[in-house]
Formats: sequence, structure tokens, C-alpha cells
Amino acid sequence: MTRARYSNIFYGYLFLLPYLVLFCAFILLPLIYGLGLSLFQWEVLSNAPPRFIGLGNYREALGETYFWMALGATLRFVAMIVPSVVCGALLIALALNALPEKSGGFFKAAIFAPTIISISVAGILWRWFFSAEFGLFNAWLAPLGVKVPWITENRWAMKSVVLMTVWWTLGGPMVVLLAGLKQIPEQYYEAASIDGAGAIRRFFHITLPLLKPVLLFVIVMNIIGSFQVFGQTFMITRGGPELSTRVLVQYIYETAFASYRLGYGSAMSWLLFIVIAVFSILQFRLVRERE
Amino acid sequence: MFCIRKLTTFISLILLILFISLLANCGKSTGIKPSRKVVIRFWNGFTGPDGRTILRLVKRFNRENPDVQVLMQRMDWGVYYNKLFVAGLGGRAPEVFIVHASSMERFIQAQVARPVDDLVRGANGIQESDFAENIWQAVEKDGRHYALPLDVHPIGMYYNKKLFREAGIVDEKGNPKPPTNREEFLDALTKITKDIDGDGKNDQWGYVFTWYRTNMYTFLLQWGGRIFTPDYQKCVLDSAENVEAVRFFTDLIHKKKVIPPPENFDSWIGFRQGKVGIAFEGIYMLEDLKRQKDLDYGAAPLPLLGKVPAAWADSHTICFKKDLSGEHLDAAWRFAKYLSDNSLDWADGGQIPARKSLMESERFKGMTAQWEFAKMIPYIRYIPRVPFALEFLGEFDTAAERGLRGNVSAETALSEAAANVNKIIKRQNEEQKRSKP
Amino acid sequence: MKKIRLRLIQFFLLAAAVVFLTPIALIFLTSLKPDSEIIHFSGIFPRQWTLDNFREIFDTPEEIPIFRWLLNSVFISSAVTFLILLVNSMAAYALARLELPGRRGLFVVIIATLMIPGQILMIPVYLIINKLGLLNTPWALIIPAGAGAFGVFLLHQFFLGIPRNLEDAAIVDGCSIFGVYRHIVLPLSKPALSTLGIFTFLGSWNDFLSPLIFLDSVDKFTLPVGVALFQTSYAAEYGLTLAACVVCTAPALLAFVFFQRHIIKGIALTGLKE
Repeated sequence: MTRARYSNIFYGYLFLLPYLVLFCAFILLPLIYGLGLSLFQWEVLSNAPPRFIGLGNYREALGETYFWMALGATLRFVAMIVPSVVCGALLIALALNALPEKSGGFFKAAIFAPTIISISVAGILWRWFFSAEFGLFNAWLAPLGVKVPWITENRWAMKSVVLMTVWWTLGGPMVVLLAGLKQIPEQYYEAASIDGAGAIRRFFHITLPLLKPVLLFVIVMNIIGSFQVFGQTFMITRGGPELSTRVLVQYIYETAFASYRLGYGSAMSWLLFIVIAVFSILQFRLVRERE
Repeated sequence: MFCIRKLTTFISLILLILFISLLANCGKSTGIKPSRKVVIRFWNGFTGPDGRTILRLVKRFNRENPDVQVLMQRMDWGVYYNKLFVAGLGGRAPEVFIVHASSMERFIQAQVARPVDDLVRGANGIQESDFAENIWQAVEKDGRHYALPLDVHPIGMYYNKKLFREAGIVDEKGNPKPPTNREEFLDALTKITKDIDGDGKNDQWGYVFTWYRTNMYTFLLQWGGRIFTPDYQKCVLDSAENVEAVRFFTDLIHKKKVIPPPENFDSWIGFRQGKVGIAFEGIYMLEDLKRQKDLDYGAAPLPLLGKVPAAWADSHTICFKKDLSGEHLDAAWRFAKYLSDNSLDWADGGQIPARKSLMESERFKGMTAQWEFAKMIPYIRYIPRVPFALEFLGEFDTAAERGLRGNVSAETALSEAAANVNKIIKRQNEEQKRSKP
Repeated sequence: MKKIRLRLIQFFLLAAAVVFLTPIALIFLTSLKPDSEIIHFSGIFPRQWTLDNFREIFDTPEEIPIFRWLLNSVFISSAVTFLILLVNSMAAYALARLELPGRRGLFVVIIATLMIPGQILMIPVYLIINKLGLLNTPWALIIPAGAGAFGVFLLHQFFLGIPRNLEDAAIVDGCSIFGVYRHIVLPLSKPALSTLGIFTFLGSWNDFLSPLIFLDSVDKFTLPVGVALFQTSYAAEYGLTLAACVVCTAPALLAFVFFQRHIIKGIALTGLKE
């Protein structure tokens, strides 16, 4: 290599350096540190020094009802939110795509608007909506004689959180799917209609297959994001009623920052990571097989 | 296409907001004034009306004591305790902070709070006999007292006078007669609970469950039960008396349907709206009630529903940072004593002062609701003071919720919680053994 | 037929738009109601319009240091945006254009971290920040944010699309790497940079978990955390709370109104460049 190239490489890495420092300090290092922490018993409340216990924390978590309840709550959330948001977003994207060029900007912005609201504001708002006694929804339903236990009944609570999350997060996937739809060339549709294909057949034989990469991306990102749910349940139900909506991240947060069990909390974080990774890999494999 | 003009407008707006907020901040004093004042940081969790009352007291103290500047900081109690504890562990505790008597243990054990005996018995002190015995004992450990009790706030009975009159539950003079025992309580329930709008469902209730924790704790104790064994080594939440207490209420809720399904705090709104005859809530809800101008409410001691007179209570206590000394210690104590001496002003906002001399004053007798609730002080009971208070309370709250809502039996809810708490105790003991070399 | 179908679709979208916008409108409208109207619900629009809630928020800075929170949010969000734009663009350029050995592997590693949920890092990052003595300072929120991989990813893809001949011409003219970066690449990337900037600003503005964990003192809070902890457990002062929500939301809404096209385009880009 020439001298110029060597110096180029040197300056190149220099360019990269600031980011690399931050990356190593705040992503790689915590990743490893967290893994290490999870192998120790460290209860700050007791003044005892951290003690190496190998997989002890993991065993405790896997044997503890509260962990499975929390994981269950998260899984229920994911199972409900991903289909709702993806289908809802797809529906609206299709509707927007059917509009003539350049129109629909208002609709797009309106439906996207909720995503720019902070989770704490959105949470406060919907908490008021869902309040059984003086909430907005029940006030609207009162003339019908209906009083829905939105967040006071186990059967309803998680569904209410999902409802709120659909409102809050539909915009993102909608926008991505719309962009994906717009990429599909008009000619395909024209050719298909000339061949006599109706709207439904066009959808299943042209739109879906060509949309697949974008759709897959949306689904996977949604799954990963949904597993991390915390703000909504923290603000709206605080994990109630009866801990039915206490998602795993909230449980980890409480373990680490209220009970000060840092080793145990780290182990649960890693268990969550493993669950997410498994799901993502499964998703990719499924698609690869189909192709 | 990208528009520079839009970006410039946006950035200018952001700068404008920044500028306005800077101006607004300079106008009001929230920062530390550079002067020779001794700065005392004062943290607490008083929000809402409580917060306004304490702020008034702080401002008055600052005015009357120009050489001290008390800076108050407050946030929601739940998060407050986490932040306070972490700050304490890191040596960054504020000079003065409020801790509930029931939550003191972890602060004492972590050596974050300074004993106050020398201050109380000192020159500018307070007569120990001026504190009711059970209140002064609530802050004591191993012979030393770790905080200055500011108040005591029990739950008591609020009742809707109008509903009582309508139901005919009155005395000879026609004044509403709140219940004093189980029979009268059940009588009131049956007479007041009714279906007003004829839709087949009750919408006016004799009694509603508000905060599970305080109500349930009171009832468990009234039925003669305990939470822990006296040495705090075992949780006996699932004892026979406790199960019986919970069953008494689940019967009323789910079988006899004279109490609505519990909704924790939200049920309180029903009382404010005038749809409920009786609610057992803390004296601290008084301010909230006063805002409801169209409600004719009364206050009275709790009825004896079980065998043993008991009422949940807690106290806000004033703690001092561990290594406080010199002029900071002096200023901090002066501030704490000021709050204590003026706790009638604090009581006005819906509290009961911890000092007997103030409780016997004419002014206090004029505070009807507080005066009524104060009658229960001889038999108030604090939640057991354990270092794992937060986790224990979490289990307790869950057990109360599950038991009352009836999805599982009372025994199941209580025994599962007891098992979990026993696990916590075991873990705590193991860790304690390790921390002593 | 086509006309009817179009009308139906437009009606459907209009209904959806109304459903999605109404809650936002309600934040504003309800904050202008007195508390008594909120407890006894009386309709979407206030019967009695009042600025009392706002007056109370702004008049009591010792209780509700809302301007302090606003200041903190503006400072932190601006600093995060600046940091990310600077550091991420440099890294993206280095990885996209400079032929550094190992750059492909490095890029893959960085992108892989996009899959890592932030929460599993929160405990270790907390301990690291504590060790650095940065707890309860705005820097706890600013510095770790610079490590985000999203910006690197977005800009990397964009830089790949810049015609090489422009850069080559500059190098021939004797420009250093930094010079090329500064005079050629950055100006050409204004759309991507501005999109990333707005994105980052909004994301930082609305962040809730990090300030909740890293900040202890009320006067250091950002708006979302200040507003969230506003919800008192004892009394429901919804008018006041919603007024605080308005203060928190208004700047974000403002940014949206100005830049919605770019924000939306930016999000769309993430899906397509995969």
C-alpha cells in the first residue's frame, strides 16, 4: 500500500473514533458488563458485596412465578399489538395508495400525528379516557347504560393498553408500508387488470409478494419494539389490575431500581434479549424458507 | 424539497421558547442565590394540596429566618423513595427529608438518617412527653429515635350526611348518626345502597372500598390478625383471622352485593359525587373534599367492625442527613422545629399534629374532621416497619386486591403473598449474614 | 364506479383521521376546562373556557418548575441532536466512503445493535454513568445518546448514493478527508441530515425512561418526566395535568406541523433501504 493510503486509513479511523468511543462505552461495554452482572448476586439494600453465583439468577428467574407472569403479559401484548398495528397500517396504506397522486397528505399527517406525542403525555391522556368513574369513554357510553371496566378488569386491561398503542404507533408502519406500496410499478397492476384479475386477486398475487421485504421489515421491527413495552403500562395501569399488565420491562425496572437487586435484574434483561432474538431469527428463517 | 426558511423559522421559535423560559426562570427564584445564607435542601413527596401547604410553611420560614434558605424539592412518593434512597447511598442525601414512619427501616439500616435524640433533648428541644407514645415509638430503634414526627394521618370515616338523613339514620335531634359497630354499619349499608335510576343495578352505595391498603390493613387488625410474627421472621398474612376478615367483605361485595366491586382510588370519586354513604379514607383527603362544594359530609372515628379497635395510620417524619454538623445542623434543626411548632398550619391542610399540646389546643378543636379522627390515636396501628417495606407492601397490595376482587379465594391470595414475603425474608437474612464479616 | 370507490376511500380515511386527531385535540380542549367540568363530564368543548390551569402552572415555579423543565428539554434535545449529527455523520462517512479495512464487519456489528432493546442496557449504563459521576446531570442523557446506531445506518445508506466523481474531483484538487466531508458530503446531505436531526430531536424530546432513571432532582427533569410524575396519586387534578401536557406537546407538535413531510419521509426511508 502506498504511504498516502496508510495515512488515509489513519485519518479514516480518526474520523470513526468519536463514534467508536461512544459505541464501545455505551453499547458494547454495557452489553458485556450486563452479562457479567447477571452472574452475580448483588442486593444493594443489604450492604453485602456482590457475590458470584453463576447461573443462579437465571435459575431463580425461570423458577419464579412473577417472572413468567411478566413475560406472559409481554407476550400477550406482542401477540395482540403486532397483528393489529400491521393490519391496520396496511389497510390505511392501501387506502392512501388508492388515492390520486399528490393527494392524501393531510390524512397521512393526521394519522401519523400521535407518534410525535410523548409517551407520558399519551399515557396521562388515555388514563383519563379509560378511567371507570369519570373517564371520557365511559362518559360517552353512559347514555347507553354501559360502563366498561377498561383498566379495572383483568380481561380488559391489556386490551385497553393495546388499543392505546395502536393509536399511538400506527403511523410509523403505515408510512413505511405506503412507501413500499408506491414502489410497486403501476404496469403490473395494469397488466393484471387487462388479464381480468379483480382487486382481491391483484392484492394477493401482486401487492403482497412485492411488498414482502418491506412488510417483513415492519413486522420484525414491530415485534422487537413491542417486546420492550414499558411506558404505556407504567403510565396507564402501573402493571395492574392484579399485576396482569406488569410487563417484563416494568418488572426489570422495579427489580433494579426499587428493590435494588441489580444482578437479578440484569439476568432478566438478558432473558428478555434472548426471547427477542429467538423471535427475530425465527421470523427471518420463516421468510427465507418461503423464498 | 427541503426548505431552509422552514428550518430557520423553527430554530428561531425554539430559541424564542428558550429565551422566554430563561427569562421566566430569572424572574422567579428557583436557583441557589449566591449569598451567605446556609442552604438547606428539603425533599419530600408532598404533591397536590399537601404540597401547597408545605410550600407556604417553607416560604414563611425563609422569610422569618433570613440567614437560612430552605430549597424544597418534591415528587410523587413512589419515585421519591427510590431517588432518595439512591441519593442517600451515594452520599448525596438532602439535609432534611420526609420519610413515612412505615418506610423508615431501610434508611436507618443503610445509615442514611441521623438520630435526633441529642437535638430533641438539647437546648432548643422539644418535650418528648409531648409526643403521643405510639407515635414517638414509631421512629425508635434500639433506644434511639431517628426522626422528628411531624404528624399522624389515620384513616377514618367520612360519611354523606344527606344520604344518611334520607335513609332515616338519624339521632333524636335529627342529625345523621354514623355507625359505631358492625350492626350499625351493615344497617347503613342496606338502607343506603339502592338502585336510583331503576335500571336494575345499584348506583348509590352505602360504602365503597377506596385505597385497598389502608382499608384492608385496618380490617385485618380489627379481626385480631397479624401480618408478621413478633420477631418479624415469618409472615403470617394467611392466618385464620385475616382470611375471615377478607371473607367478610368479599361476601358483602360478591354475594350480598351491597358494596360495589372495588376500584382502588377511583372509587373515591363516587363519594365526591355524592353517590356513596360511607368511605374510610385518610385525613389527608380533607382538602379534596373541601373542593367539592356541593357535598355535605361529616367525619367520625371508624366503626368497630371486628373485635379489636384499630385504624391504619402513618406519620410523616422529618429526617436529617447522617453527617450533618455545624451551621447546617443548626439550621436544619431550626427548620424542623419550626415545622413541628407550626404543625397546626400543616394540620389545616388535612393532617393531625403529632404533638399533644397542639392537639389539645382550641384551634385544633375547631378543625372538626381532624378532631374526630384524632380520637382514634390511642389505637392507631402503623404498618410493620421492615427494611423490605416496598416489596412487602407490593405483596400486601396485590393480596388485598386479589382477595377483594374475588377472582381467587381469600386464602389463596393471602397465602401466596405470605409465601412470597417469606421468600424475601429468607433472602434478606442470607444477605444480612453475608454483610457481617 | 371508480368515483364511488374513491369517495368511500376518502370517507374512510377522513373517519380515521378524525379518530386519530381527536385525542390530541382533547388534550388542548380539556386543559381549558375547570376541574369541576372534567369530573362531571359535560362535552368535548368547555362550557366555561378558562386559563386557570395554565395560570396555576406558570405561577408556581417552586411547585411546578415547568419553565425549568422546558429549558432542560430544549437544552438536552438540542445537544443530543448536535452530537448525533456530528458524530454519526463522521462515522457513516468513514464507513461508507473511506476504504478502511474491516469496515464491512464493523458496519454489520453496529447495525446488529439496532436489534438490541435499550432496556437491557439500562442497568449497566446506569452503573457506568454513576461511576463517571454524571448521575443527575443532563450529560447522562446526552453522551450515551451519541452511541445510537440508527443515525449511522441512515446516513451510511445515504452517503453511498452520493456520486463519487464529486469527491474524486475534490481530492484531486488537494482536499483532505475532512475537507471533502465538510465541503462536499455535508452540503449534499442536507435532506438526510435535516431529517435525522428532526427525528433525533423529537425522539430525545419525548424520551421518558432515560430521564426517569438518570435524573434525581426535580429541577433537572425534562418535560415528559416532570409531567408524568405530576399525576398525583391522591387527587385527580386533571386540568392542571393536561395543561402541563400541552406545554410538553406544543413544541413537538410545532415541529411536526413544520416538518411533517421530512419526518414521514425519513421513516419511510428506514423501511426501504433494507
